[in-house]
Amino acid sequence: MKGNVYTLVYSAILGTACALLLTAAATFTKPYQDANKEAEEMLNILTALKVPFDEGATAKQLIEIYEANIKEQDASDELTYYEYRPASGSLEAVAVRFAGPGLWAPVKGFLAMEADKRTIRGITFYEQEETPGLGGDIVTDKFRNQFAGKSIVDSSGAAGIVIGVGKQTQDNGVDGITGATMTCDKVQQMINEVLTMIVEEGK
Amino acid sequence: MSDGGQQLCGGGTCKGLCGGKGFETLKDGAWTSNPLAIQVLGICSALAVTNRLENSLVMGAALIFVCVGSNLFVSLLRKHTPHRIRMIAEVAIIATFVILFDQFLKAFYWDMSKQLGPYVGLIITNCIVMGRAEAFALQNPPVLSIVDGFANGFGYAVALAVIGACRELFGSGEILGYKLLSATWYEPNQLMILAPGAFFTFGIVIAVFNAIKGPDEEESK
Repeated sequence: MKGNVYTLVYSAILGTACALLLTAAATFTKPYQDANKEAEEMLNILTALKVPFDEGATAKQLIEIYEANIKEQDASDELTYYEYRPASGSLEAVAVRFAGPGLWAPVKGFLAMEADKRTIRGITFYEQEETPGLGGDIVTDKFRNQFAGKSIVDSSGAAGIVIGVGKQTQDNGVDGITGATMTCDKVQQMINEVLTMIVEEGK
Repeated sequence: MSDGGQQLCGGGTCKGLCGGKGFETLKDGAWTSNPLAIQVLGICSALAVTNRLENSLVMGAALIFVCVGSNLFVSLLRKHTPHRIRMIAEVAIIATFVILFDQFLKAFYWDMSKQLGPYVGLIITNCIVMGRAEAFALQNPPVLSIVDGFANGFGYAVALAVIGACRELFGSGEILGYKLLSATWYEPNQLMILAPGAFFTFGIVIAVFNAIKGPDEEESK
């Protein structure tokens, strides 16, 4: 009969061995994982800005394309512009990061505008855990493509977009997702926070 | 799964593949008691990741790796593990291997890792892995346990690959990204990509598998 002490010692040794192994693996793979995460973020910025790139590009290639085309410009502590300047050098488009609480977990993404900083060019979400099939559909092309060409201000010039119910006729409105009102409201709110900053900053 | 294997193999007197036990174990895991088609275990992941053949193959590889690794260590430690905490020990070992594989995917196959999402991590709770550790590795020597782990992982992988190939072929007209069914005459069936397609395909695979294997001797008695 093996006693309690043996059980405790056994557990401690097994636990330590497993933990050590996992720590070693995590430490070894961390630089690769970080590079992948960075490339993922860059991929989203490039996609939002509609920078042409090969879909099968590796993390390394993406970083190269990113560094050749994108300039980061801090407007304030909270606002960083990712400027798309192709080889010709003129400003083609500009993207900003937005983030905020979603329905279940943080939602993060990038919103790209034309060089005028008033017309939306594209949008991507790189982190979200909304309800699959409902709020999760914010990542679909169908939802995202609506944003292109929309204005970031309403007819009176106030900053903000509307993710509303049904087809939107105004310049700054997109059709929300049925059954995902909470997600749409929260996404609208987090985007508008950034848009307010952009409009304020331009004054 | 009798103790015969232990006597034949335990003392290091391995003749052939564990004194003839090896082939039987291999056949058992991969064919006669195939974890997916016969035991219907681990179907959550099987239904979730089989929308493309590539995903199925990686998932199959993950399960082979985890099954072999966990079976080996559970078997090595089987005489030292206190009976009361054996399940916790098994899960700790299984979780270690699963996380190792997950970390590896995240570092070197990022896109694949994104596509498989939480399902790699969920291998920890896959009944096949735990089942083999509990039912086989605890009573059998390491080498035979490795064979058993491989056989079951392989059986799972093959069944997964068949389902994945069917769903990808009929769902998008491709296999591993190569267009096989031309879009000019074949309209891809979206249903096959979605969850119901997995259930239909899985059901058909089980039926075909059983038809080929023939009736279970014990059941037909």
